[in-house]
Amino acid sequence: MTSSNIKEISDLSPDSGLAIINSKAPFSSNNGKDALDVALIFGSFEQKVSLFFQGDGVYQLIANQDGSLVSIKDYLKTFSAFEFYDIDDIYVCQQSLVNRQLDENFHINDVQVLPSSEFASALNCHKHVLRF
Amino acid sequence: MSTLHLVRQSAFATNDFAQCLSVVDHQDSIVLMDDGCYNLKHSLMDSLIKRVEGTLGIHVITSHAQARALDITAEIQHIEMSDVVELTFNHTKVITWQ
Repeated sequence: MTSSNIKEISDLSPDSGLAIINSKAPFSSNNGKDALDVALIFGSFEQKVSLFFQGDGVYQLIANQDGSLVSIKDYLKTFSAFEFYDIDDIYVCQQSLVNRQLDENFHINDVQVLPSSEFASALNCHKHVLRF
Repeated sequence: MSTLHLVRQSAFATNDFAQCLSVVDHQDSIVLMDDGCYNLKHSLMDSLIKRVEGTLGIHVITSHAQARALDITAEIQHIEMSDVVELTFNHTKVITWQ
């Protein structure tokens, strides 16, 4: 990570607001649903939110999942509401996808897949961070 | 003495699956369920399939894998939750890795 990288991303979003890191797979815990609720609450109060998906959290974005098969109310479908809450900055750790042999086939659009250094820079320009 | 191993955690997040494989015996069976289904794509699974060459039963709960949009390869047997009951009777003991 270089200081010029950090500066570049900071310049793009000078007031970066809240970062939410998603690090858990979608169906075996409530973490993903809780993170979604927090993101939408901040969004509805016009607070700027960026979402980060790292580790097993990247599974939350993969297309063609169906929670109803394991009797779980599929909160992943609500991800498509992000644009109505002005949540536009959605970052995915590329290394996490590669480790899990996952394609960049997501169920929402406008997801940015970033290599580790840029993922870190994007996260580091946020003042507040919550991790789920 | 055979053991049924119920693997419920992702090997990308915990080392439960690695611990399971370190004690697994040739007459045992493995069932991937819940987040354990993610191990289908883990390098540990590739090396396991090479190592056992079909002597070990490797199963996955179909609905759990489908819910997670995971493809099931030919080396792995698709089963339902009801089949797990029969598997528990066919083995001397059960270890749940979670």
